[in-house]
Amino acid sequence: MESQDKYRVALLSSYALALHGFETLIPSPIPWLRLGLSNIVTLVTLYQYGMKPALMVTLIRVVLGSLFLGTFLGPAFFLSLGGGLAGAFSMGIVITLFPGLFSPLGLSLIGALFHNTAQLFIAYLFFIQRIDAIILVAPVLIAAGTLTGAINGIAARYLVIEIQKADRESPSPMTGT
Amino acid sequence: MRSKGTNHNTTFGDKVLLLLLVFLSVYSFIFIKEVMPEGSDIRIEAAGKLLYTLPIHINKTVEVNGPLGTTVVEIRDSRVRIKESPCNNKICVHEGWVRSGAIICLPNRVIVSITGKANKKHEDIDGITG
Repeated sequence: MESQDKYRVALLSSYALALHGFETLIPSPIPWLRLGLSNIVTLVTLYQYGMKPALMVTLIRVVLGSLFLGTFLGPAFFLSLGGGLAGAFSMGIVITLFPGLFSPLGLSLIGALFHNTAQLFIAYLFFIQRIDAIILVAPVLIAAGTLTGAINGIAARYLVIEIQKADRESPSPMTGT
Repeated sequence: MRSKGTNHNTTFGDKVLLLLLVFLSVYSFIFIKEVMPEGSDIRIEAAGKLLYTLPIHINKTVEVNGPLGTTVVEIRDSRVRIKESPCNNKICVHEGWVRSGAIICLPNRVIVSITGKANKKHEDIDGITG
């Protein structure tokens, strides 16, 4: 990996981390229900630099975020890790296989759906083991994921448009400044 | 991998996906309501304490006291409702008769919940997709 790529990944990870931390300050009606704002950064990374950096940004965000919040290696960490990676993978695969089929809005919805599905699976396999509880929670997560996914997707779209506009105006590659 | 073009308008795929997800959300809520077993016991809590656990098939009217005054809970025909409440907004009263779930009156701190699994008519589910 070139040093400039490392720099980009570090910068984007710090953005994601900031959003991740900021998000925990927002009160939520249900404790584990989150906006998933850091997914905006994952999505922008995916659009601008591809799947591998997007996965790295997600990984760094989840690990460092859990260290800062004190949840490292706890249940919340594994839920966050599985959800984050599933979301980034699903969006990366869809954008690679079907470029142009979805805008950032659609990709964000896919990411949110896979994020939540992965979390439900992990919760069932390792923590809860009660299928009735999981099924009961699933509709809430699907509905919330659709709403937050749409909001994040729209935010990511504007961000991608602005970054690419800035890219065209200055010949040097956009590094996030 | 550089950016995939500059057109980021909402695509047809987006719209189909969004519609599907909204449909899935709504349908899954309906599905859950259908599938979840109806309970057998009614638990009445006031101010954080469990006061009564009553079988759902009896007909009975119970009065419990909360911080604001007396809440009247009525059980009839395997359903339960809050008949009268001293709270302002009367959300609990407007919920009417319920067979499953719970009625919660936050101002008067009264929780009426239906628990247990006596009614097992939906037990024969053998697979769930989606």
